[in-house]
Amino acid sequence: MAHAVSMTRAPKEATRRSFLHDDRFQMTAFIAPTCIFLALLTIWPFIYSVYLSLHAVKLTAMQRAVFVGLDNYLNLLTDPLFLRAMLNTGMLAVTSITCEIVIAFVIAKAFVSLSHLKWVNGLRSLFMIPMMVTPLIVGMIFSYVFNPVLGIANYLLGGVGLGPVPWFGDTTAAMISILLINIWQWTPFMMLLIMAGLLSIRADLYEAARVDGAKWHHVLRFLEIPSIKGIVLLGIILRIIDTLRFFDVVYVTTRGGPGDSTMVLTLYAYQQNFQFFQAGVGSAAAVIILVISIVITTFAVKLLRRIEDE
Amino acid sequence: MNNTFRLRDAVPLVLVLAFVFISIAPLLWLMLAAFKPTADIIAIPPVWIPDFTYLQNFRDVLTQFWPFIVNSLVATIGATILALVLAVPTAFALVNHRFKGREALADWILSTRMMPPIAAAVPLFVIFRGAGLLDSLPGLIIAYAGFNLPFAVWMTMSFIRRVPKELIEAARLEGCTWWQVLKDVVLPLSKSGLAAVATFVFIFAWNEFMLALFLTTREAKTFPVVISSFVGTGRVYWEYIAAASIIQCLPPVLFTFIMQKHIVSGVTMGAVKD
Repeated sequence: MAHAVSMTRAPKEATRRSFLHDDRFQMTAFIAPTCIFLALLTIWPFIYSVYLSLHAVKLTAMQRAVFVGLDNYLNLLTDPLFLRAMLNTGMLAVTSITCEIVIAFVIAKAFVSLSHLKWVNGLRSLFMIPMMVTPLIVGMIFSYVFNPVLGIANYLLGGVGLGPVPWFGDTTAAMISILLINIWQWTPFMMLLIMAGLLSIRADLYEAARVDGAKWHHVLRFLEIPSIKGIVLLGIILRIIDTLRFFDVVYVTTRGGPGDSTMVLTLYAYQQNFQFFQAGVGSAAAVIILVISIVITTFAVKLLRRIEDE
Repeated sequence: MNNTFRLRDAVPLVLVLAFVFISIAPLLWLMLAAFKPTADIIAIPPVWIPDFTYLQNFRDVLTQFWPFIVNSLVATIGATILALVLAVPTAFALVNHRFKGREALADWILSTRMMPPIAAAVPLFVIFRGAGLLDSLPGLIIAYAGFNLPFAVWMTMSFIRRVPKELIEAARLEGCTWWQVLKDVVLPLSKSGLAAVATFVFIFAWNEFMLALFLTTREAKTFPVVISSFVGTGRVYWEYIAAASIIQCLPPVLFTFIMQKHIVSGVTMGAVKD
């Protein structure tokens, strides 16, 4: 064993003890760089964003910042576009995560029941592919597939006498298309988590349930849901955080349109900051996104701890 | 368990096959377009099977845009290395060093993972502008490493926890410094775990788009930023998009297939505090 060999060499070096070999110094040196880095990347930007959000300021002329108090926030809360972005982000989170969990559960059950077949593992790898595809490319894929003129989706639907579906061309359809894309990409992730949860259930518990004459919905309610509750909640937290960051796909497919129908929070803040250079308004939006993230995660982590303690 | 097909496997199998088809068909359709001339890409009814010897699209993309692929690779690999160099000692110290506020510090590090990048966007832009890091690869490496650091620390901790405590104590009794324990005992034993951490950081950094969109303008543009510019206001360059998509998807898929075993355990081990 490699480490055993190297351990015999160690004492000779360690006899020369110096300041650099001091335990506490070494441990501090291990931790400090990461903490400083993260503080510069999170705490400082947060303080600076709050500062900017209280000022009328252009990204192109930062030195001319004028204090305006809470005006940026008040403007945001009366801006229909921002409210639309909030509503869309919330709707997207609720509907896509719900659909993902339901579909993922069904597929996870199917994979678990096929787990005695070795070659099914290969199918599982194929099924996982969408979650590894660059989100930007996902946007491109569906711009192509859902294209009104050269898209394969409408061609195939036309072949069975349906459509044409407007996809990104109409306000309701555009939102549903974005929702479908989200489900397509992230169901595999949820499936992976749920499958890990299902595989942790001991086979003899299923056997006992069968002997006791339990129906499938009893097994679901008393055995499966309790076993996957924790890990699914974790998945929900991560997916909510993802939805708050959701940007790439709308950026290439709809840019928030048609009209304001697919505007989401991060795209809104991005456009304010880097297209209209309104660093004050953009920062206020960013602060609101951050506060929503903090509230949701604190709440969710508490819930997670409680479930784990049970 | 035996490896034979039973009749009651039929329903789950059909279901699984249907969903696998939905999962890969859209991606495959764009990838097929990479082997078609422009006229075939936009043809309706579609040209189903392209001539796979037609490689002009790849040639065009690679000759015109190779510097940006190199940018992406440098930024991604640099960020992966930087994130691991910072994360491994930190994770090691957080697991093995008892001090006041250790749990709180670990929780704080994880909580920074929840930070939406857009919330740091303007401050980052302003510091980078001041420090001359805008549109530069070092800037991208710093940003990508930073945003992946919390996750890398947390996941590394879960692998380091699995190194038997007795080995570490024995090494300490022999007089090893903590640095030697990390280098000679813990690292060799958690190699496969670190490979999984590296894969995740690699994929996240490789797929990143929004930060690169405003941190780079010309010189340091990453490949995703270039791809996004293929959809202009006028013509959409589908032939470039298709070929570039294959190039863009290749590294993460290759990595993931190689590391699949580590990754499955990595997701569950890294995510759940064990």
